[in-house]
Amino acid sequence: MANKIDILGSAAAIAKGMGVTFKEMLSPTVTEYYPDEPAKFEERFRGVHVLQRDLNGMEKCVACFLCAAACPANCIYIEAAENTEQVRISGGERYAKVYNIDYNRCIFCGYCVEACPTDAITHGHGFEAASYNTSTLIKRKEDMLAPIPPGAHPPVVTPASPAAH
Amino acid sequence: MADLVKLTIDGREVQAAPGTLVIDAAKTVGIEIPAFCYYEGLSLAAACRMCLVEVEKMPKMMTACTLPVAEGMVVRTETPQVKAARKGTLEFLLTNHPLDCPVCDKGGECELQDMVFRYGAGESRYNETKIHVPEKQYSPVVFFDAPRCILCFRCIRTCNEGMGVGALGVINRGAVSEIAPSSGDHLECDECGACIDICPVGALTSGTYRYQTRPWEMTHVATICTHCADGCKTTLGTRNDRIIRGNNRDRSGINGEFLCIKGRYAFDFYDAGERLQAPLARVNGKLEEVSWSEALLLVAKRFNQVLADGGSFGVIGSNHTSNEENYYLQKFAREVLRTSHIDHHRTGDVVALVDALSGQTGKLATVADLYERKAVVVLGADLSLEHPLLSNQIRANWRHHQAHVYAVSAGTVREDKYAVASVRVGNAAETSDPSRFAHPQGKASAAEYLAALEQLRDKLKAEPELVMLFDDSFKGGDVRKLVEFGESLGIPVKYIGLVDYSNSRGAIDMGLTPELLPGYKASGQPGLHLEEMLAAELSALWVVGANPFQSGAARKAGFLVVQDMFLTETAALADVVLPAASAYEKNGTVTNVTGEVQKLKHAINTMGAKPDLEIMGFIAREMGVAGSLGPWIPDAVFDEIRKNVRGYEVPAPVIATGGAAQTAPVNGRVPVELRPDLVHSDHNGLFASGTLGRYSKVLHTVLESRLSR
Repeated sequence: MANKIDILGSAAAIAKGMGVTFKEMLSPTVTEYYPDEPAKFEERFRGVHVLQRDLNGMEKCVACFLCAAACPANCIYIEAAENTEQVRISGGERYAKVYNIDYNRCIFCGYCVEACPTDAITHGHGFEAASYNTSTLIKRKEDMLAPIPPGAHPPVVTPASPAAH
Repeated sequence: MADLVKLTIDGREVQAAPGTLVIDAAKTVGIEIPAFCYYEGLSLAAACRMCLVEVEKMPKMMTACTLPVAEGMVVRTETPQVKAARKGTLEFLLTNHPLDCPVCDKGGECELQDMVFRYGAGESRYNETKIHVPEKQYSPVVFFDAPRCILCFRCIRTCNEGMGVGALGVINRGAVSEIAPSSGDHLECDECGACIDICPVGALTSGTYRYQTRPWEMTHVATICTHCADGCKTTLGTRNDRIIRGNNRDRSGINGEFLCIKGRYAFDFYDAGERLQAPLARVNGKLEEVSWSEALLLVAKRFNQVLADGGSFGVIGSNHTSNEENYYLQKFAREVLRTSHIDHHRTGDVVALVDALSGQTGKLATVADLYERKAVVVLGADLSLEHPLLSNQIRANWRHHQAHVYAVSAGTVREDKYAVASVRVGNAAETSDPSRFAHPQGKASAAEYLAALEQLRDKLKAEPELVMLFDDSFKGGDVRKLVEFGESLGIPVKYIGLVDYSNSRGAIDMGLTPELLPGYKASGQPGLHLEEMLAAELSALWVVGANPFQSGAARKAGFLVVQDMFLTETAALADVVLPAASAYEKNGTVTNVTGEVQKLKHAINTMGAKPDLEIMGFIAREMGVAGSLGPWIPDAVFDEIRKNVRGYEVPAPVIATGGAAQTAPVNGRVPVELRPDLVHSDHNGLFASGTLGRYSKVLHTVLESRLSR
């Protein structure tokens, strides 16, 4: 008697296990073939920062230093300068002449994005920041700026920024 | 003193002197009544309506800033009605105030921002388009952004009352009122920047600080301005070894929040393109850059050789270097180089004054005395241009205490406006030439000034007390005559002998003269003075922070070493030039015109330059004599000064914590022959500062804009 119950029990367990197997066999695959294929991200993934431009192609950042103030890792370094008639970089009176983020220290908490009053800094989906040389982990403004949107003509092309500190 | 008035504020018993304003009485018990337009020391405006409080038995809310306390008054500052009024006021202020805080220079230290944060009105009911007015430039250093202005009129009042200039006014009425210069489209003023500093919002912004950084990003270092002799404390905002702005918002120091253009903006010389950043040595007749070790070795070897050959040394010190450096330099000269040929450019006859006042105590006035004493006599100097702080103190004294001011001068001076008596002497032409801002014109002789004083004798005799200020028109025997005149009045008289530069007084105190050792002790050894050293065939001449060859004199010395920030006329003639740090790049102490000792604090580092004390120490080390001279650490040298120099027994904690302590009077005859012929003031105006001023871009820009008009 006991033997029959054992056999039935085992069969039920096998059926249950195989059920999962067959179900997964028919459902779409979730395995990603990174790096052979590009990685996929959730919309709100917090990756390497992107400095946005407005519709005219000007930088949105007005160098208010709020991101640097909000940063718990103290990894944002900014030098501000004034827009002039000749050199106009951002929409406001001031722009970031130097904007560096030290990815050795960044913890991708997103406080900078939250603090930004002009939506200039956002998290992109870049994640391949690893390097054997830590000095390359300090990204400059030019490394993070979004491309000029098609059709936009910013008054002056960003001049080469001084070397990163 | 009249009986104190008792009143109740928020249920707390408060006692205040009659005439005290409710806003101040509340402050004494720690109750804050918010206000924009109320400013201690300025006239009342009641313009902002932020300080409304409820007072029992008064039908409407009252402005606490104009309401004097009364017996039995009951004031409430935290009722729902008061809270609603504050919120309403802020909402009105914000209707046309642009919300560009992220860009505005004031963001982070803005009083409007703080008030809105604390008292509400974070959301506005005003959804219409705001009126935008483009920004205007009123002067090279003052910009005005009209929409940000909340019309508190602090700037107008500080300019008119505080500075006595009146360059700002208000145009139009009501909602379209605007702050504007009194002279059309530009400011005709001292360019002191007080209006910018006092602005509670970002309406007035500084031409040099604009859009450079944010306030919280800077490190603030309170040090002493290195230009004139008044010794104002200037708090330098620094970032990445750059000085970004100067102000004194915390009102620390003898100057309160007062600063002139030099203290607020003229720190920029440190960053001039001409700044030396490597030692220079003469190779085949041309100055070429060498390393520090080479340069120091070169100097030490040559100095040792001259010593061995029994040659003669000359040493010329500076009006700008710290007391420690001056002390170490004279010790170096007297003990190691065994010479009495040590001097500096004397800009006022302090020696004669100290000598004339011997045997008496409490005769040297402090900066605070000018604000407290009942009467002041200004002799000679155009004080508002040459000594802005002293002038400001006297003006504040007149405004707050109705002090009697007597102006005895060659030309018109600003003190005339409120002086009880102005006496013109000499033959100076009345001038409105803008170049007077760089170099005030018109001087008369001491005899003429003394004659004018005799005319005033009866008036002065009637004063309860007096402070007398005199410039380099009085030298030697004339100073003695002046002191005799003062003492004959029969009232307590204090004196200030004006000198030119940040440590002119300290240079004399530290014995940078052939005839005097530190503390006005006679050296007893004959020595050449500055002019004679230039003309003499010395084996070696060592110039520290001075420019004696500016006159174009030919170099006679066999070997010339110069320590300076720039390649001045003197440095250009040198065999070795050692790049020195400025006063903002080192620690030490300086003594101002009234003999008050204050501490310099190291604010920034500049590549390549070293403090003069360190340079002297390194030369001593290379020469192998460092042991006998002691450590070249500012604090250690200052300890030695406090022990060895008469009058410098100032309390160390006061100095260390950034306070000012007056050196004690020497109290004894100065047993030397006075050399009045060597005293010569440069009479720098507001927009000039000797050799140093040549390297300040701000001073140039402002003066040029003035001259080109």
